[in-house]
Amino acid sequence: MIRNYLMIALRNLTRNKAFSFIHITGLGIGLACCMLIFLYAKDEWTFDRFQAKADQLYRITCSIVEKDGKESRIGASAMVQGPAFKAAIPAVQDFVRVQESDHLIRIGAETYSEHVAWADANFFSVFSFPLKSGNAASVLGDQHSVVLAEDEAIKYFGTADPIGKIIELEFNDTFQPFTVSGIARRSPQNSTIRFGFVLPFSYREAKEPESTWDWLSYPTYLVLAPGTDPAAVTRQMNNHYQQVNSKQIAEMKSLGQGSFTWGLQAFPAMHLDPDMYATSHVSDPAYSYILSGIAIFILIIACINFINLTIAQSIRRSKEIGIRKVVGGQRKQLVFQFLGESVLLCAFAFVLALVIAVLALPTFNQLANKQLSLTYLADPLVIAGYILLFLVTAFVAGFYPALVLSGFDPVKTLYNRVSAGAGRNLLSRSLVVVQFSLSTFLIIATLFVYAQFDFLTHKPLGYNDHNLLQVTAHKDGDKQLMKLLKQEFSKLPGVLSVAPRMNGIWVTRSKANEKDVEVLIEHIDESYLATMEVPLVAGRNFSPDFPADSTRAVLVNESYVAAAGWKDPVGKKLRLNQDKDQLEVVGVVKDYHFASLKEKIMPQIFSQGPSMPFGQFMIRISPDDKARTLAGIGKVYNSLVPFRPFEYDYKQDLNFRDYESEQRWKSIISFAAVITIFISCIGLFGLATTSIRRRIKEIGVRKVLGASEFQISRLVSGNFLVLVLIAFLISVPLAWYAASSWLQGFAYQVQGYWWIFPVACAATVAVALLTVGSQAFSASRANPVKSLRTE
Amino acid sequence: MLELRHIYKWFNSGNNRTFLLKDINLRINEGEFVSIMGPSGSGKSTLLNIIGMLDGFNEGEYEFLGESVHSLKDKQKSSLYKKHIGFVFQAYHLIDELTVYENIETPLIYQDIKSSERKAMVADMLDRFQIVGKKDLFPTQLSGGQQQLVGIARALIARPKLLLADEPTGNLNSKQGEEIMELFSELNKSGVTIIQVTHSEKNAEFGSRIIHLLDGMIEK
Repeated sequence: MIRNYLMIALRNLTRNKAFSFIHITGLGIGLACCMLIFLYAKDEWTFDRFQAKADQLYRITCSIVEKDGKESRIGASAMVQGPAFKAAIPAVQDFVRVQESDHLIRIGAETYSEHVAWADANFFSVFSFPLKSGNAASVLGDQHSVVLAEDEAIKYFGTADPIGKIIELEFNDTFQPFTVSGIARRSPQNSTIRFGFVLPFSYREAKEPESTWDWLSYPTYLVLAPGTDPAAVTRQMNNHYQQVNSKQIAEMKSLGQGSFTWGLQAFPAMHLDPDMYATSHVSDPAYSYILSGIAIFILIIACINFINLTIAQSIRRSKEIGIRKVVGGQRKQLVFQFLGESVLLCAFAFVLALVIAVLALPTFNQLANKQLSLTYLADPLVIAGYILLFLVTAFVAGFYPALVLSGFDPVKTLYNRVSAGAGRNLLSRSLVVVQFSLSTFLIIATLFVYAQFDFLTHKPLGYNDHNLLQVTAHKDGDKQLMKLLKQEFSKLPGVLSVAPRMNGIWVTRSKANEKDVEVLIEHIDESYLATMEVPLVAGRNFSPDFPADSTRAVLVNESYVAAAGWKDPVGKKLRLNQDKDQLEVVGVVKDYHFASLKEKIMPQIFSQGPSMPFGQFMIRISPDDKARTLAGIGKVYNSLVPFRPFEYDYKQDLNFRDYESEQRWKSIISFAAVITIFISCIGLFGLATTSIRRRIKEIGVRKVLGASEFQISRLVSGNFLVLVLIAFLISVPLAWYAASSWLQGFAYQVQGYWWIFPVACAATVAVALLTVGSQAFSASRANPVKSLRTE
Repeated sequence: MLELRHIYKWFNSGNNRTFLLKDINLRINEGEFVSIMGPSGSGKSTLLNIIGMLDGFNEGEYEFLGESVHSLKDKQKSSLYKKHIGFVFQAYHLIDELTVYENIETPLIYQDIKSSERKAMVADMLDRFQIVGKKDLFPTQLSGGQQQLVGIARALIARPKLLLADEPTGNLNSKQGEEIMELFSELNKSGVTIIQVTHSEKNAEFGSRIIHLLDGMIEK
C-alpha cells in the first residue's frame, strides 16, 4: 500500500512540475530559514553551557543605585571581593578573577598589539578550557608565566615548540619577560571568556595592589558548593560588605553617592543579559525572538502555499479520490495517502533546505554576527529539532488538504459536480490575506529600517566628520610628549589642524544656578572647536591671550545652558563635583552629536584644566593625497613613541560603527522581506494559474461575447488584488506599531515617514499584479475556440 | 439478491421539491443481467448509484444480500460494497497517474490482500483480458476500448457478485461496444449479476431483462 502511495505521489510531483517547484522551493526556503535560526537560537541559549561547572559558577555583580533612583548593573568587582568572600563565606569554594586588557607584546625584535587576559592561577582548573600542554593546576603558578592559545602559538612560533620561550609584555612603559608554560586549546566560540594569552593575575596584583571595594574593573567568578542557594550567599556577601566597610559606606552616603549592592549571576545567564555592563560578546535575547519570529513567518507562508495550492489542485485529483472511494478506499486510508504525499514533498523540501542552509551559512553568520559552523549540525539536539520541524511542517501543511480531499463525495466528483476550487473558498482567500499581510508587514518594516538608517548616517552631526582622524597616543600622562606630537603633526603638509583631547569619556556632576547637572567633561585646548568645525553661539573660544583661561574658564554647550536654566550664560559661574573653585563660562558651544544618534546630547563642559591629561588627537587633514599625509603622521608618531604600532581611525568610520547592529538588522529584515514576498508570490502565481484554468471556459465565452483583453485581465486579476489590498490594510497598523516601538529606542528618529505606506502598498500591488497579470494576460489572449471545444 | 421497496429521492429547490426517483420497487435475483433504459434525466444513473450504495435516498427500504442498507452506517456500507460490487463507468475513470497494472490492483489494496496474492490475481486478470502487454502503460496511452477493458478488469478483480455499469459503451465506437457487451454476456454466464444503464436498444438486448425509467418512475 505504501508503495502504491509513494508511486502516485512521485508521479504527481513529476506531472505538475510548476506546482512541485512552488511547493518544494517555498517549503525548502522556509525550512532553511528555520534551520539556520534554530542553530542561532540553540547557540544563544546554550552559550557557556559547555563549562562542566556551569551550575556552580556565578559572577559577582554590582548594582549601584544613585540618589535619584537610577540603577546601573555591572558585571565586575574590585580586586578584593573574590578573596574576601571566599574567606568569609564557607559556601564559596573558590574564586577566579579574569580581566581582559590590551597590551603591547614583543617577541624577538617585533612588537604587536594584543588582547590578553589576566587570570587567577586556578583559571584552567575551574573553567573547562583544556590544555594541549602544561598542567592545569600549576600552569599559571609562576608570576612570570604565560599560557598561549593554540592559534597564537602557531602565529608567533610556527611549528616550533613554544614551551619555555619568552614573550615580553609592556607593563607601565617597560617590557617584562613572561615564559610560555602551557598551550591551551582554542576557546569555543560560544564562550563568554575567550583568550589568546592568559597571564597570572598575581603579577598584576603584585604590581598594582588595590584594596578598595568600589574600583569595579575585574570580572570575578565564584565557585559555590554544589546545591548552594545563591540567594543565601548573596545575603552573606552583602552582610560582609556592610561589616567591613561601615565607615566608607557612611561617608559615601553623606556625600550623596550611590549605594552598592552585590549580587550573583549564574554563569550561563550572562550571555543574554545585555543590561549588565562588562560582559564580552553579550547578546540581546530580542534577536533570538525576532529571528525566530521571522523564520516562523516564512515557514507559515510556505505552508499556506502548500495548503492553498493542494486544495486548488484538488479538482484535478477529485476523480482519483472518487475512484479510490468507489473501489473501496476508506476516508482514513485517503487521509493517510495525502498526508504521506505531504511528508514526501516535505522530505524533498527538507533536503533542499539542508543544501540551502549549508550554502547560506556564511552569509547568515555575517548577518547574525555569529561563527556557527556546519559541525553544529551533527549535534543530537539539532538533529532532534530538525526532525521535529520536519514532521510538524509536513503535518501542518498536509493535514487540512488531506481532510478536505478525502471528504469528497465520490458521486459528485465522478459526475463533475465538484464546486470547491481555487481562490474561491473563504479559507483559501483568508490564507492569501494572511500571507500578504505578513509580506507587507515586512516590507513596511524594511522601509522603516532603511529610512531610520539613512537618517542616522546622513543627519548633520553639528561637526564635520569628513577627513577627520582620531589618533590615540596611548601616552595619557606624558604632557610634554603630547605637546611635541601636536607640534610635529601640525608641521606636516596635508594636516590642516590638530587638536588634543582627553582619551575616553568622563561623566560627572556639576552645580550651576543652584541646580545639579550631570555633565560630560571634555578636556581640550583652543584648537579643538576649530578642528571639529563646531561653531560658538555666544562668548568666545579659549585663547592664549587670556592666560587665566586654563584654570578659571570653561565653555559649555547649549544643552548645559538649558539644563542650568540660564538666560544669559556668558559670565555665569559653575562648580564641578565637590570642588570649591568656581569656574566661569566664557563661551557657549552649539550642540553637536559627540556620541551616536541613539543617545541624546548631554550637557557638556569644555575645560582646559591643566590637571587633566590629554591622550588623543583629532586631526583634520586635507582631502588630497591622504595616503601621504597618513604616512607622515605615522612616521612622526613612530619616531616619538617607540615600539607602539601607529593606529588611527577616521571619525566617519567610527561613527558608522555605532550603527553596526542597525546595519545588520537592515540586512536581516530586507532578506526576510524579499523571501516572504517571493514565497507569497509563487503561491499567488500557482493560485492564479489554477483559477484561470478553471475559468478558461468562462473566459472563452466572454471573449466570444466581445470582451477585450484588458477587460478579461482585469476580471481575473481583480479578485486577487482585492485580497492584497485587504492584507495591506491589516498590516499597516501592525507594522506602524512595531516600527514606532523600534524607533523609540533611538534618541533621534526619522521624521516625515508617511511616504512609506503608499510606497509599500504600491510595491506589493505591483508585485502581485505582475504575478497574476502575466497569467491573466496570456489567458485573455488565448483563442476561445480551443477552450470552448475542450468539453 | 437485492430488493428496493418504495424508494424516493428528491431535492428541494426553493419551495419546489424535485423528485429524482419516485416509488421505485425493484427486485433483482442472482444471475440476472438487467438493462436500465430511459431518456436523459429519467434517473437511471441515480438508481444505479443507489444500488451501488454510492448515493443515498430519502425514503424507502433497500435490502442487499439480506442486509438492510437503509439502516447501515457509511462505514458498513463501504465494506459491504467493496466486497460485493464492482463499478464500470462511461468515462472509464481510471487513475491517470497509475499504470494499467496498478489501476487493476487498487481495489485489492483497499481490501488488505497480501502483495504476493495481489500479484497473482492481477496477473490472472491481465491474462484473461489479454492485456498483459499493456500492463505498464498509462491510461492515456490506450484507446477507449482498451481503457474500458481495464476498467472492467478493475471492477472484477475483487470477484464481486454484482457488476454495475453506467453506460459502459457510451464513449466507444460500435465495434468496441459490441466486444464489451459480449464480454458482459460471458461474465453473466459465469455467474456475475450485472446491472447496466444504457441508451442503446441493441446493447440492452444482451440482458435478460429491461427496465424502462421515465421521470423517476419505472414504466410498467
